Order: sequence, then structure tokens, then C-alpha cells
Amino acid sequence: MILLLWAPKLYALTPVYNLDEETNIYQPVADIRVTTEEGGIYLSEIYSGRPIILTLVYTRCAGVCNPLLMRLKENIELIDPKREFTILVLSFDPLDTLEDMQGMAKRFTLDEDPRWEFAVSREIDKLNRSIGFNPVRAGAKRQFDHEALLIGINRNGLITKKLIGLRNEAALGAMIVEINDVFVPSYPLPDNKRSFSCFNYDPATGKNSPGWGLLVLSLPATLTLLLVLVIGINSNHEHH
Amino acid sequence: MMERTTLARTTSIWIIAILLLFILSVVLGIIMRLSQGGVISQSPVVFYSQMTTHGFTMIGIWFVAGMVGVNYLMQRYVSAPVKSNIFALLFTIIGVVLLWVTTFVGKFHTGWTFLYPLPFKIAWAGWATPLFFVSLTILGVGWLVWSVSLLMAIFKKYSITRALAWQHFGKNPSFETPPFILITVITLIGVITCLLAAVLLIVLFFAEYFSSGTFVNDPLLMKNLTYFFGHTIANEMLYLGLATLYELFPEVSGRPKWKTTWYVALAWNCTLVFILTAFFHHMYMDFVQPESFQIVGQVASYLASLPAAVVTVFSVLTLIYRNSIRWSLTNVLYFMGVAGWVIGGLGAVIDATITNNLVLHNTLWVPAHFHTYNAMGNVLFSLAFFNWAANRFAGIGESGGANRLKIALLLVGGTGFLLMFYLGGAYSIPRRFNIYPMEFSLAASFARIAAVFAAVYLAAVLIFFWDILRKCLKLLTYSR
Repeated sequence: MILLLWAPKLYALTPVYNLDEETNIYQPVADIRVTTEEGGIYLSEIYSGRPIILTLVYTRCAGVCNPLLMRLKENIELIDPKREFTILVLSFDPLDTLEDMQGMAKRFTLDEDPRWEFAVSREIDKLNRSIGFNPVRAGAKRQFDHEALLIGINRNGLITKKLIGLRNEAALGAMIVEINDVFVPSYPLPDNKRSFSCFNYDPATGKNSPGWGLLVLSLPATLTLLLVLVIGINSNHEHH
Repeated sequence: MMERTTLARTTSIWIIAILLLFILSVVLGIIMRLSQGGVISQSPVVFYSQMTTHGFTMIGIWFVAGMVGVNYLMQRYVSAPVKSNIFALLFTIIGVVLLWVTTFVGKFHTGWTFLYPLPFKIAWAGWATPLFFVSLTILGVGWLVWSVSLLMAIFKKYSITRALAWQHFGKNPSFETPPFILITVITLIGVITCLLAAVLLIVLFFAEYFSSGTFVNDPLLMKNLTYFFGHTIANEMLYLGLATLYELFPEVSGRPKWKTTWYVALAWNCTLVFILTAFFHHMYMDFVQPESFQIVGQVASYLASLPAAVVTVFSVLTLIYRNSIRWSLTNVLYFMGVAGWVIGGLGAVIDATITNNLVLHNTLWVPAHFHTYNAMGNVLFSLAFFNWAANRFAGIGESGGANRLKIALLLVGGTGFLLMFYLGGAYSIPRRFNIYPMEFSLAASFARIAAVFAAVYLAAVLIFFWDILRKCLKLLTYSR
């Protein structure tokens, strides 16, 4: 009963945006023109030189934008400086100006870091469609309801990785590897639908333990052994 | 007597059907190499449909070819089953027709290993996926019933321990198990095991297909089961061919029959154990498979192939060395087949060595080695049996001139065709590419040359087919 009473509230808490990190993966990003401190430039001119980590924020954000940039900055400092990438912080709010974005860069003391670019664009809707980013205007204070999103774009302009939420250094490292087109092994973790995993990996300890799948794998040999014994024992031997 | 005539007639129908399907599959292979060589142009879907058909048909026909030979020769020792043989023939015909419908009409094109989850990534007619598994089920049921009935026929006369020749491990065994029976039993146990793996695999595929997303398979388990079935059956069918070699090679050479000794018994018993774990070498690239399994895969690959090969090669060489041999097409084919089996086996062992596999994995080295022990190994074992059986059915001798031509065409065509695969492997050219990018500058040339040599090989097969067909039809049209 309590749950039923709560249901509309629970529904209201459901985010309006998609939290699926697979959407638009391996799709090309829209080659829009952005304006940075150096002037106008197409995205393709940036990613053809170095792959991009793209994040979308706005300067009046009272929500996740600042924590997102703070976490991103902290994690980037832990990454090997020899790794090649450009971090493009792009405003998705049409009201933001380049000066607003430069002010944001100064607040985070990133204005002198050559790996970081702060920019605005008049073609932001085109970009949003190509990456599956759908900010929704919320309330009268010119705020947006949106996810904390990082988009990894490789040198061919393809979206190779998406990270939603405030993520750790390891996740960011995996993104940097993928945007540089290095093979990243992956394997689905056990879940309730997957009853016969060969091994059960525990992400907390990093250890593998045998699963039901190994038992399934041994079934053909076990059944054959039983079958051979049953046939052999029940047969009438006409020994010479 | 009636049973024996029915068995001979069924065998001759099998032989004609197998050779017909072989010719069609070789033609598909030539078309694929021409396509890779840029001589003809076809869409990727058509190419991969052909590749799936080619792979599955070849595995299927040369497995049943071995079974046909073993079933026919078994009547020398036990009451050979006939009904299950006819049952398997009918199920094989239905299964193959449905399989070809899924690939050629439905455009199903996962490759013959149908590696999970490819069959569910529908890039073909929606009905082709369930129909593919239905065709596999029909083939699997037919072959499983056949294998079990052959084993039952042997166990009626030989106890388990005698069928496995365990009495030969002691001194002065009172009973001798014929090598043919030993190898057949060892192989049938392996065949039943891998067919049961296929049954489990199909059940799991169907479970996911009909679960509407509530049941999802574990990719590692599915890959393990796929190669438990696929790798094992590809090896066991060779051993079926070897069983016929052990029975016929000394006989047609005019030499005394081979006897089972302790080392022959030991080698084949070892083969039974190791062949069932060698498939782990297909998982070298699967990083979630523990390292211990990978090591088992490498060790078992060595141990599965070496004892049987050493004993067989030793037996064949001692039989022909400084002995007066009555050479005929049958024993020449067996002799060439052993050479092809050993060369292909060495290629396989090289690839199954983990450090080498890092370089050779999924290059043309892989089709190089398995085409060697099939096209120039197992196929020759079966052709030798077909030739021997057809002559027997027709009651006529062999023609010398045409035999030399057949052998020459087989050798030249087969060697040239395989050499292009090996060179491709040495140049790290990837396998399963329908067209080659510019980076692999020699790949297309190798493919074109391979197609020419394969056509020469096909010419030999056509001559074989014509000769064997005439002889088999004599039996089939003969009214009792």
C-alpha cells in the first residue's frame, strides 16, 4: 500500500534522460563548428589531430556541472601526461558566451593547460542529436535537467566510449585507451539472467571462482561415461 | 546375407551422396578464393553464406564418410547395424537440405562454428536462425543414434575392457582386440561425447531464443561447448578414417594384418583422454578463461596427436620398408593420407603452442593446417575406402593409367592449394576476409593461385566420382 502511494513519486524521480552508455556508440559525432579562445574551428580539425574527451556543461549550472569538472580535473591529473587527448568542455546553453566559458576555465585554473579547451557553439542541437544528449529545461531559473556525461571521440570522429556520472580514474583511463583505438577486452559480468557462467568474477576482490557453467561443460563427458557403462554392462558378450 | 546386401547398397548411396556434396562444396571453396582474389565480385552476405555452407558440409560429409567406412567394415567382427545406418542417412539428407535452405535461401552466414551470440544478431531472414538449429538437431539426432548403435553392436561381443584393449597392458594377453575395434570404440566414445556437447549447445541456444530475454547464455560456456563439439568432431572423423586404414592397408598391400600391442593400446587410450581436452586451445584469446585451462589446452594438443600419429606412422613405415608391397590406388591413397595427416597435424601443433598462437591466431595458417589434414588426409582415407568398396561392389579391378592421373592431379592440386594458405599464414594474412585490404598486397594473388590449384584438385575428384559412381550404380541397379 505504501509502495502504491509512493509510486507516482518514484515515477517522478525517474530521470528524463537516457542513462544508457551504449547509445550512439561507434556512430560519427556531428562535425560542428565551435568557438574557442583561438577562434572558430571544426570538431574534425581537433579530433583528427588528437582524440577528444568531450563534456557538456553550462556556466549557470547549480547542479552536477561543477562536481563533474572538478572530478574530471582531479582524474586527469592522475593520468599519464604522455597520453594523447584533448578535453573539450563545451557549453550546451545557448545563453553562454565564450567569455563565460573562459571565466569557468579560470575558476578551475585550467585556462593555462594546453590539453583543455573551453568552447561554445551555435550548432549545439546538431551535436546533441549525434551523441544522444538530451538536456531538459527545468524550472524558471534557466536550469537544465541533464546527466553528467563524458564522450570519447577517436581520430575518425567516432564515439567509442560514453561515461555517465562522476567516474573514477580507471574509467577515465579506459576511455582514453579506447579513443586511441587500443583494444579493450570486455566480458559481461554475471547477473540473474546468466545462470551458467563458467566463472564468477567478484569485482570487489578481483577473484574468479568456478561457476555452474563448468559443471555444464563437464556434462557431455560424464553422460558418455555413464552411457558407455550402461551399454557395456547390459550387453551380452559372446567372448571367444 | 540379406542384411549384408542392404548394408552394401546403403553404403553405396552414402558414397554417391558424399562425393556429390563434396564436389559442390569444393566448387563453393573455389568461388570463395576467386572472390578473395578479385576475379569475381560478390556481396559479403553471399560470401559468408557460402563459407558457412562450405564449412558445415565438409565437416558433416567427412564425418559420415568415416562412419560409413567403419560401419561397413565392422561386419567382419560383429553384426553391423543396418537400420540405424539407414536412419542416419535419411536424417542426414533432411538435415543437409534444411541447412542449405537456411544458408542459400535464408542467407544465414555465421560461419560453421555459429559462435554465440552471432546466430542471434539477425542479419538474414528471421526464420533462418531457428531453422538452422532445427537442421543441426536433425543431424545430431541421426548421428548420435548411429554412433550409439555401432557401440552397442561392438559391446555385444566385446566387454568394455576388451573393446578398449586393456588386457594388452598385462603380460601375454589371452585375448587380442583387433586394432580396428580398438580405434573404432575409442573414436565412437569421443564422437558421442562431442555430439552430446552439441545437444547441450543447441538446448542452450533454444533456451535463450525462446526466453524473450529472461535467460541469457554465458559467452565463455557457449564458446567452450562450441569447440568441445566442433574441434573434437573434426579430429574424431580423422580417427574413423584411420580405423579403416588399420583394417585395409595391410590387407590390400598383401601383408599380414596388424596386431594390437601394449603400445598401440596405450597410444589409443591416451588419445581418448587427451582429444577431449585439446579444444581448450581455441580459447587462448579468451582472457577470462584461467591460465591453467590454456596450459591444459596446449599440453593436451601435443598429447592427443603424438601417440596415435607416432604409432600409425611407425606401423605404416615398418609395413612398407624393405617389404614387397602390392601397390594399388587404395593403399597409395592411404599412404598419401597419412603424410597429409602428419603434415597438417604438425601445423596444428605449431598453432596450438601458445606463444605461436599469438602470431598465427586467425591468420590463414589455421585453414592451412586443417585443410591439410582434411583435404590431403582424411579425404584420402575415405577415398581409399570408397575406391576399395566400389571395386568390391562392382567386382572389377582398377585401371592403372587413370589411377596415376588421379594421384598426380590430387597431389599437384592439393599441394599448390594448401601452399597458398601456408604462405598466407606466414605473411599474417587474416582468415575469413571476403576481400583483402591493400595492406595485404599478396593476399589476392595467393587466393587466385589457390583457386587454380583447387580446380586441379577438383578435376581429380571428378574422375574419382565418375569411376566410383559407375561401380556403385552397378550394385544399386543389380536386381537380386
